[in-house]
Amino acid sequence: MLKKLLISIIVLYFLVLIQGSFLVHFLFWGRVLNLTLILIIFWNLLENPKKYFGLYLAFIGGFFLDIFSNHFIGFNILILLGLAFFMKLIFRRYVEIPFFEKS
Amino acid sequence: MKLSLKESKALIGILVVVLIFVLMNTFRAEVKGFFYSFSAPIQKTLWRAGKRSSDFLTGFLNRRYLKERLNELELKNQELIVQIEKLRDLKKENELLRRALNLGLEKEFKLSLAQIIGKDISQDFILIDKGTKEGVLKDMPVITEEKVLVGKIYEVYEDFSKVQLLSHKNSVFDTNLGLAKGQGNFNILLELILREKTVLKGDIVKSSALGGIFPQGLLVGEIQAVKKNDVRPFQQADVKPAFDISKTGKLFIILEF
Repeated sequence: MLKKLLISIIVLYFLVLIQGSFLVHFLFWGRVLNLTLILIIFWNLLENPKKYFGLYLAFIGGFFLDIFSNHFIGFNILILLGLAFFMKLIFRRYVEIPFFEKS
Repeated sequence: MKLSLKESKALIGILVVVLIFVLMNTFRAEVKGFFYSFSAPIQKTLWRAGKRSSDFLTGFLNRRYLKERLNELELKNQELIVQIEKLRDLKKENELLRRALNLGLEKEFKLSLAQIIGKDISQDFILIDKGTKEGVLKDMPVITEEKVLVGKIYEVYEDFSKVQLLSHKNSVFDTNLGLAKGQGNFNILLELILREKTVLKGDIVKSSALGGIFPQGLLVGEIQAVKKNDVRPFQQADVKPAFDISKTGKLFIILEF
């Protein structure tokens, strides 16, 4: 778990840096691609809804986005955590995927 | 009301998290400065790589347009050469007159060179590698090599500064044509243009020293569309900013003007 968390911290740190310094040169419909958000959405989409790692990812990703953006520290954390919570809730209550039941 | 052990633990946990956030926001400049200090070299490399790749890709994808544009610019260049010659004569005349009137030379700005190392993806802010150590202060104007106005210093750290671009929603400044307001996402709106004033698409917008924020005569952008309404006492116009962050690597901070 700790190893997984450490790898996530490093990956998310670099993703935010790439987003802020590399991808700003490539706009998609006038916007910069938010890789952190995409990663968190995909992770929470594919993770077993009973597991919590997606929430940790949302917290770490939000923290790094806050550091490299002009918002107060906690702004992106709240948004990403809220999104991850919402996804978990929807998947737990309304979506049943047999694959997750086995794992 | 007595709380159970589980509830007390949760409450303490929430309080600790809130306290950490309050502390981090109180020392926001220090926390961000710490992260920026070791991220700056990586950000610089990524910025350069991104710029190079984007230039290559844009050139490749727009080769037909670029060819047409090249022809257009060659024609324009010829016209400009003629104009330059005329201006050179005028300059000589001006210098002679200055000498005759015993006027002092124009004061040049005191500048500090800075490198862009990052951009805020959600708002119109950029991060540059100069801070309080180099004498940078809040509200100092930031320009490009071509003396195009980019914005002003918004937040200063020890080795880094955040620049608020002209197009930021909170940016308001005076120009030669009217009051300019940032609209976000690299858009500027010009307001309070007198109805009697003839403003056309393609007109150049320059900064005015009226608000005391920016020096006079720095290039802001070009009028893109004029909005005239019989009901309103003033005209409005959309301005295309002259700066292009993705094509600019180096900037100058005006320390004194």
